[in-house]
Amino acid sequence: MATDSLPPSAPPRTSPFLTPGSHSSASSLSILHLRRDQHTPVILQPSSSPSDGYIEGPVTNTRFGSFPHSTLINQPWGSQIRASEVDTGSRGRKGWEGKGKKRKRGSDEIADEVRPETEEEVEGTRKAIKTSATGFVHILSPTPELWTSSLPHRTQVVYTPDYSYILHRLRARPGSVIIEAGAGSGSFTHAAARAVFDGYPALSIQDEGIQTNASAEPALPGKQNGKVYSFEFHEQRCTALQSEIKDHGLEGIVELTHRDVCTEGFTISNSPPIHASAIFLDLPAPWLALKHLTRRIRRKSLDPSANPEPTTPLTPNPVLHPSLPIHICTFSPCIEQVTRTISTLRSHGWLDISMVELSAKKIETRRERVGLQEEGLRGVNASAANVEEAVERLREVEGRTRWFHEMEARKEKEQEQERDGAEAKKDGEPDDMVKGEMEKENDTVNGKEKEKYTSKASRLASIASRLPTRKLYKEGRLVHRPEPELKMHTSYLVFAIFPREWSDEDEKEAERVWGGREAADRRGGVEEGGELGGSGGGRKEEKRMSKRQRRKEAKRRKDADGGKVEVDGEKTDVESRGN
Amino acid sequence: MRDLIRPDTFVGLRLPSDAIQVVRVVPNTSISIGKYGSFYANHIIGRPYHLTFEVLDKSDTSPAQSGLRIVSASELYADLRDGEASTPSESNDLGVAEGNSGVEYELVGEDGEVVLRTNRAIIDDSSTQTMTMAQIEALKAECTGSGRDLIQKILGSHIALDQKTAFALAKYTLRKTKKYLRSFTVLPVDVPLLAHWILTDKEPIKIMELREETLALMGSLLNLHCTAIHSEPNGHGSGIGSGRWLLIDETSGLLAASTAEKIGVLNQPKALVPSIVNDEHEQANSDADDTATASHSIAQPFKPPRIHSSSSLAYLNTITVIHANSQPNLSLLKYFEFDHANPSPSHPLCRHLKTLSWLQLLAPEDDLAYTEPDTFPNETIQSWKSGRRGNYYRKRRRWERIKSIVDETRAGGFDGLMIATGMDLATVLHHTVPLLRGGAQVVIYSPTVEPLVEISDYYSLGRRTAFITDPPEPGSMPTEDFPLDPTLLLAATIHTVKCRPWQVLPGRTHPLMTGRGSSEGYIFTATRVLPAEGKIEARGNFKRRRVNDGNGSRGSEIVEQTLEPIGRELGEGDGTNIS
Repeated sequence: MATDSLPPSAPPRTSPFLTPGSHSSASSLSILHLRRDQHTPVILQPSSSPSDGYIEGPVTNTRFGSFPHSTLINQPWGSQIRASEVDTGSRGRKGWEGKGKKRKRGSDEIADEVRPETEEEVEGTRKAIKTSATGFVHILSPTPELWTSSLPHRTQVVYTPDYSYILHRLRARPGSVIIEAGAGSGSFTHAAARAVFDGYPALSIQDEGIQTNASAEPALPGKQNGKVYSFEFHEQRCTALQSEIKDHGLEGIVELTHRDVCTEGFTISNSPPIHASAIFLDLPAPWLALKHLTRRIRRKSLDPSANPEPTTPLTPNPVLHPSLPIHICTFSPCIEQVTRTISTLRSHGWLDISMVELSAKKIETRRERVGLQEEGLRGVNASAANVEEAVERLREVEGRTRWFHEMEARKEKEQEQERDGAEAKKDGEPDDMVKGEMEKENDTVNGKEKEKYTSKASRLASIASRLPTRKLYKEGRLVHRPEPELKMHTSYLVFAIFPREWSDEDEKEAERVWGGREAADRRGGVEEGGELGGSGGGRKEEKRMSKRQRRKEAKRRKDADGGKVEVDGEKTDVESRGN
Repeated sequence: MRDLIRPDTFVGLRLPSDAIQVVRVVPNTSISIGKYGSFYANHIIGRPYHLTFEVLDKSDTSPAQSGLRIVSASELYADLRDGEASTPSESNDLGVAEGNSGVEYELVGEDGEVVLRTNRAIIDDSSTQTMTMAQIEALKAECTGSGRDLIQKILGSHIALDQKTAFALAKYTLRKTKKYLRSFTVLPVDVPLLAHWILTDKEPIKIMELREETLALMGSLLNLHCTAIHSEPNGHGSGIGSGRWLLIDETSGLLAASTAEKIGVLNQPKALVPSIVNDEHEQANSDADDTATASHSIAQPFKPPRIHSSSSLAYLNTITVIHANSQPNLSLLKYFEFDHANPSPSHPLCRHLKTLSWLQLLAPEDDLAYTEPDTFPNETIQSWKSGRRGNYYRKRRRWERIKSIVDETRAGGFDGLMIATGMDLATVLHHTVPLLRGGAQVVIYSPTVEPLVEISDYYSLGRRTAFITDPPEPGSMPTEDFPLDPTLLLAATIHTVKCRPWQVLPGRTHPLMTGRGSSEGYIFTATRVLPAEGKIEARGNFKRRRVNDGNGSRGSEIVEQTLEPIGRELGEGDGTNIS
């Protein structure tokens, strides 16, 4: 990977995934689109960085040509970039420095043609790069989709249809906090980061000296930016993903921890509570992690051997958001895992449990051309397009056969006659006349037949010659069908919801504020009667009164009670203005 | 927003039959849930979402209103425990109000051991249920509770109940439960719920039968995400903002709502309890935008300061909707407290949602709203009556808003285009694709595949090659052969995704027997690219074949970077060094 040679300078300040800007830039990830479904992620490096022996500076070689990074940097996203002439041959060898020079002297002409300014090895030379005659790529800003299709696979990957549906069901939105366990290759990590992103955390940005503004600054206490807490128990994968996160500028948004969540849980020591509202478990045994996701936990005792005393009070779990419903998704390929997970979810009190599987496919479209005019062309069906064409071709074949037989018969006759002629030579002249007539007849027949029945070779030639004038892109029937290789099964998705904790006291309080059953009873009716049990309901009623109504009300009271209530009336007015 | 049920918001009620009903929770009113009865709105206001309530007996305290009881998770799963290894329940930690009815489906519980029973002895006969319809109706009338005892009675009067297999019994119980149990679950109204509800219960045609999983995938493929303010060294500098999404939405606003949700501008910052507000950030964000737009609009004359907040448009994270009628149909936004005809200035969509008609986009001069109203000197305005003055300012405000939207849209540079329309897609794309920035994604939804197949044929490789080899006159587009410029979009692909729900119950796990058919839902995606100037030739085709083809090479082989391996055929580069 190009990431290895990234200079140890500052990490990218912002993520090209989230705020790509309008142009590609140095030290930042971009994706080279080679062909449909074939992408190469490249971290563009400035010419000054180690170039691996290329005189053009860092170069990315693809099967469609070589691309010095200087031709890729600062291009508008989506640009088509031409390949450049790069000498990839000599630099890879051992001791390139010496041998390459020697060789170059031997083949000066070619070398000069390829790189006219070889002599000036320093900075300035690198801009003079010759464009190649053929080959191109498109340079695209990275998206989680492109990354998913091009990332280095370390594990089974969560693909786009799955992760988009999961994030949709998990209600991952800008500002959400999501836990992902089993980060794997990082496909879901990137998609989740995009879904929850709502600004870079202030700290890292200030470090970089970028002008910050209100949206990027969690200045409001208690308000956290959207964040992905990611866990991976495989150390190597974790390290690889961590460096990708850094290279992709996602450091403030994704927090990766190396840990087995099934045994150690999700709590991160020495950091603020996670308060996640969405959880994604891509683990071999997700049910083992669920015990760490209850609303209340017993505080861990320092001595691991001692059982937590039953008297220890349960405290709210810092991993889960205290007031939001928690949405969970587990991702398991086998049905046995699903049944076990669901049974554990039920026993832990998760609600709305459902399981689905997704089947996604891509559809190819093409022009399907059928007909005899396609004979000899590649990749088309050269059978008759319809009955008429078939009959015509059959007639032609039939005719040719008949002609052949006739010719045979004629030849035989000729030979016979010749024999006869030889026998009857003595008889005199008339034979010559007959022979001449026969030949004449033969010629005419041949000519006519030749006209009518062309040989296969000449037919193919005429088909080929007609080809350039045909508009193949609009001929034939437009058809569609699924791509040749389908993903029949990815995994089963189990979803569940953990509602907010709701105690009897909470219920009583809500009843008091909003008027529970008792209040309703006291009211007796539905719509009539403004009196409501509880201050909240009363406040509400008051609010709904318009200014005019209030004035009227005040006047009514004034009329009824005389001077004393005037104060009241004024007071109401003041209040209403305050509103 | 998602923590507690607020007064005057829409909520979804999931009934035992799995049908969803969306209602507005107006305080002090009664909410009817059809045959399941009715309840008093204040009984759910201020409570958390996702709880299940049981409609209680109305006879015991109040004659008019029935109360509600929160059903705990352990109770909900009571009839599922058989066959499962009973795990120590942690649901007590939940702290929800424990149920006191104690009604259990004992018949189910007892049947656990009778596994091998089959249905060979069962005679299909409706006489097995001894209760008649009239009897059940009568029972229903006198039964006032949640309906559990009624279900119990119905089960009890089934004479062949003991012959049923465990599976059949479970099914029978479930069926009766769905029919007679009087309970409901309160769900927050968000885009996933809304999409689900309209598709299954309301009017699928209104949203073009857009499935949830399709909607989710569209968002991902579009690379929809929130954009935070950042310094952009290579920025457009045109002041048109970033994070701009262009929509053609004929799904009554579902696409707009989904987009808004994913970029974080859908929900109004409003607090029931002032301490927990999810949207404070958004408030801050819009304040920041205000300053940005304010400085932008200072130059405009006759702009009274009080107009500022309502007329200024957001700069970041905006949605632009192009509509075919004079007014857009965004009726579904009402479920998010947004009325397009009469937007409340505090709603984020008021500033982040911009709409314009096709006429305004293509020929703004022909639209009256785009022509500047007459201006008057300040003194004249001051001399007017307040009504006329208000009118004058309102007109100017409207014009300013429309003009700024139209100009900004025509300037292009959008980050993505999402389309769901019945219009001819070729004409839509012809006018909208050029408005996208390079690298932006185009996503089109269609309930049927044919329109998308047609479009992807317009962007086929063969057509693009023909276009490049022999481009039509500039300005003559669209031509018959090229309804769209095939060089502007790359990698046109059609996706389809389908979600298959499963039933997961102990020992009875299988995909659901029936599901929604009708439209499958297809998505077209492509990437907007900027073609290089001049002729460009691809690499990767065998030279040999080109010679063979003789008379002009096959179109698709010039530009296409063909599937054949190139390897050593190329003079240079080994084509394998992919970094």
